[in-house]
Amino acid sequence: MSKILIVDDEEGIRMLYSMELQDEGHTVVTLPDGKGLMEVIDEEKPDCIILDIKMREYNGLDLLQQVRKKYYDLPVILNSAYSSFKVDLKTVAADYYVVKSSDLTELKEKLRLALECSIPK
Amino acid sequence: MKYVEENPDGVSKADIVVGIPSLNEAPSISFPTEQADKGLIKYYRNHSVVIINCDNDSTDGTREAFLGVKTQTPKIYISTEPGVSGKGNNLRNLFLKAVELEAKAIIVADADLRSMTPLWIRNLCEPIFDNYDFVAPLYIRHKYDVTVTNNIAYPLTRSLYGRRVRQPIGGDVGFSGNLAKQFLESEFWSDKVGAFGIDVWMTTIALRSRSSVIQSFMGKPKIHKVRDLDSHLEMMFEDVISTVFDLMIQYESFWREVKWSRPTAVFGFGLGDVEMPPPVEMDTHGLWEKFISGMRSDWNLYSSVISNENLNKLEEVLDLPVGGFEFPAGLWAKIIYDFAISYRNRSMDRHELVRAMIPLHYGKTLSFVTETHAMNNQQVEEFIEDQCVQFEKAKSYLVEKWFA
Repeated sequence: MSKILIVDDEEGIRMLYSMELQDEGHTVVTLPDGKGLMEVIDEEKPDCIILDIKMREYNGLDLLQQVRKKYYDLPVILNSAYSSFKVDLKTVAADYYVVKSSDLTELKEKLRLALECSIPK
Repeated sequence: MKYVEENPDGVSKADIVVGIPSLNEAPSISFPTEQADKGLIKYYRNHSVVIINCDNDSTDGTREAFLGVKTQTPKIYISTEPGVSGKGNNLRNLFLKAVELEAKAIIVADADLRSMTPLWIRNLCEPIFDNYDFVAPLYIRHKYDVTVTNNIAYPLTRSLYGRRVRQPIGGDVGFSGNLAKQFLESEFWSDKVGAFGIDVWMTTIALRSRSSVIQSFMGKPKIHKVRDLDSHLEMMFEDVISTVFDLMIQYESFWREVKWSRPTAVFGFGLGDVEMPPPVEMDTHGLWEKFISGMRSDWNLYSSVISNENLNKLEEVLDLPVGGFEFPAGLWAKIIYDFAISYRNRSMDRHELVRAMIPLHYGKTLSFVTETHAMNNQQVEEFIEDQCVQFEKAKSYLVEKWFA
């Protein structure tokens, strides 16, 4: 299975997603915000990032641009309680945008698509 | 291909080339030329630069109009030989000239643009100096503008080559000198590429060659000269769709392996207020009539191209009233794939085959207008994304039938 990096400032979300994704056989790494994100990606080499947008000191949309610049093909799923960020063109650089919900069906489906995606080298 | 050249400033080398393709654009060409000049002066003062009008031997004084624009940037005029027309042929000359000038970055801006700003130069050029090879434009466009892009070119390019380039036939692009060389070395060229097929050809070659692709936000909507929409659409439709299908044949081993799709990086934020595009009126009754008329005249052709299952569903669609008309995206995708397979198989004249898709396109456009009538731009974008996912899901149908 795959290694998923969850970046979210809500501890409850990190715990819930960790449990659910581990149950599906994934390895999960978590970060409480964007601090040290690039170093963690370098060390952990995740297969996909689930990235919150509105964090106390970090903006997930700005973090997304940094990730995309350095790791062009690393899947990133934006995950926010707000759908209003969809109007921001920065979201175009994300693989998917999923609005937070207690039902993780959509998030898991988008994670599956992101992990299955393949383009020949 | 040979071209005629006029190089009054004797330019022999340039880091940045701005190319403006044209055919009889004397009244329009001064505006993009001035904007390009302003952009190059403002953002690239320390680079060697040139503006090139790559023309189709216009007879309306385009050459004089272009060379007559007062610019600080040197200019070159090149033209196809008399009798050779087409945007693609103009751009092929541009590739040749840009490679000869050892250009690092090449920007293309249409000659009839009315909304271009100097910032477009920076936004199409800057990513090239940041090691990207191909810069596609991201414009805010009215939901009923560019129906071929929304309903076919974008979802098809995305499902085939796995990269989400929202405007694969946008026209205004940037690319590296290296990619210009790859364009010239490409094994595939046709009359359609030499015409309006060039934009999707460039995008596809960039994606197929795994060049680093980025989309750049242009800030202003794309506004160009008013055209006769019906005749322009039909001409452009055939060039674009034939080129997409020809490239499918060329690159079948590549797209067979592509599953789902990935985004690109994006450039060009912080532009302040975004200008909204002017409204585009759609004649739903006219679309309906052209759809129904095509169904009647081309039904025998459809029966031999479209699979029985999809044909039965198309009959259901035909029974729907114009007010509640809907052409399901999954069915639309499979019908497009049926046509691609028939094109590959040469089961009939290819010109006739692609022409027969136009009434279906009108039907799909009518459905798009009906379904998105009350939606804002963002909701329409999500609608188009869902449509693209239908193309991606139907890809297994294409692969199974294409490689049977």
